[in-house]
Amino acid sequence: MLEIKNLQASVGDKQILRGIDLKVNKGEVHAIMGPNGSGKSTLANVLAGREGFTVTAGTATYEGKDLLAMAPEARAGQGVFLAFQYPVEIPGVTNNYFMKTALNAIRRQRGEQELDAVDFLKLIKERAKLVEMDPALLSRSVNEGFSGGEKKRNEILQMAVLEPRLAILDETDSGLDIDALQIVAKGINALRSPERAFIMVTHYQRLLTYVQPDFVHVLSAGRIVKSGGKELALELEKKGYGWLAEGEKVAVG
Amino acid sequence: MSFDMEKAPSPSEPPTSVLPHKGRGGLLEARRNDGVLILIENTAEGDRLVIPAGCEATLTETYDPQGDDAYTTDSKLQITLAENARLIHYKLVREGPKANHQSFLEVQAQKSASFQSHVFLLGGARVRNTIHVRLDGEGADCSLNGLYLATGEQVMETHTLIDHIRPHGTSREFYKGILDQKAQGLFDGLIIVEKDAQKTDSSQTNKNLLLSNTARANSNPELRILANDVKCKHGATIGQLDPAQLFYMRSRGISEADARRLLIYAFASEMINLVEKASMRETLEQNLFAKFQRI
Repeated sequence: MLEIKNLQASVGDKQILRGIDLKVNKGEVHAIMGPNGSGKSTLANVLAGREGFTVTAGTATYEGKDLLAMAPEARAGQGVFLAFQYPVEIPGVTNNYFMKTALNAIRRQRGEQELDAVDFLKLIKERAKLVEMDPALLSRSVNEGFSGGEKKRNEILQMAVLEPRLAILDETDSGLDIDALQIVAKGINALRSPERAFIMVTHYQRLLTYVQPDFVHVLSAGRIVKSGGKELALELEKKGYGWLAEGEKVAVG
Repeated sequence: MSFDMEKAPSPSEPPTSVLPHKGRGGLLEARRNDGVLILIENTAEGDRLVIPAGCEATLTETYDPQGDDAYTTDSKLQITLAENARLIHYKLVREGPKANHQSFLEVQAQKSASFQSHVFLLGGARVRNTIHVRLDGEGADCSLNGLYLATGEQVMETHTLIDHIRPHGTSREFYKGILDQKAQGLFDGLIIVEKDAQKTDSSQTNKNLLLSNTARANSNPELRILANDVKCKHGATIGQLDPAQLFYMRSRGISEADARRLLIYAFASEMINLVEKASMRETLEQNLFAKFQRI
């Protein structure tokens, strides 16, 4: 589904990603872990097409197409979704209207018929239950005045409405208390399917207790320095990231 | 010419048309169960409107295009609000592409009177809208709101003066501008709090959205405070569309053009939402939507 080869990217004149290789098949859940500044969020943003991140080398092929050549909205139309680390507030645009506009934009790109207001309302009410979202938040401006947990739940709700094939979750667990974390995890698990892949970027192991990954990769200084199964996350939780960074230094030296 | 209205129109009757100048539609709706007298005079110096004590009225002024050629609209209106009177004034300027529009509104508010203004400047080559409000009586209040939307080489100016003369007055001022291409917007607002106007509560805000590198916005909010026990604040911003908001929308599949339109509309809608009258809100939404299609 997604094949990343030697991906290198910089922000301004600072190189962040120094050659990422990663293969994600449909149905798989990959966790990307690593210390702060290792490039986890950069990888997520490069895949979603955020401006300000310059790809300097390498490729990312998604379902046979050059992902990096597509505009962000085209990537969304092809089924790529990024759950933001810091969801953006949009005063003056209601959550309902935003999600209806997004869903219909994606449906148009897919050549499907747009949903009318009635059908959309039915859909969103049903999906809101998945993340135990207060229906009142649907008629409020997007993320405006939402708590940290409500914003993250809103990201998962958008994912549930847009039904992507490749979901990239950027630090979705950060800033969540244990109750909110469980709700968010429940939402993610409900969306797991043999047709859908996940890349979960996270600093801590705790989300992975609830959403069990098939693969864990450790990013350090812009490279994947270790890959393994879900047991690798537990090892990291015990030992921290230090032992891997040292190992990498040896490898480089 | 004078125009007397002995009785307020009941809701089933069509609103009485007043201020019948060329190119200018005026609607006055007044509400009060026992008869009211609203005096309108058209004199050489302009029009004069008196809202009697305790009366509530809504005045709607619309300026529609008089063709594509150059022409000038020059309007002067004086309004007096007697004690406890309340007026909501809507003004919609959608003049032709080469029109030069200038209007001057002078309001005097007596004790506990309330004046609310909503001005939407949408059309005309040069538009200059001036409002002077004298809060002459104790506890009088005014709220001046406006949106100017200019594109091409349009120039839209708003000049306001609010003079707090007596104590316990309140004024709120909120203007927003959206400027595209080579358009220019100017907000020039002065609030004076006179020595006797203690306990005045006043705020003034002007926010501008620039959609191109060649559009210009000038903002001169100014407070002149002579009393010593008042609450006053003012602020102005000039900004562009937020790239983080644009990316957020695009990452959800919304095209860049649609995302821009949605954000511009959201910026404008704050002013539309302040409008109480539903039919006016609908008209404004349609007008703005049509304009945004071309942005």
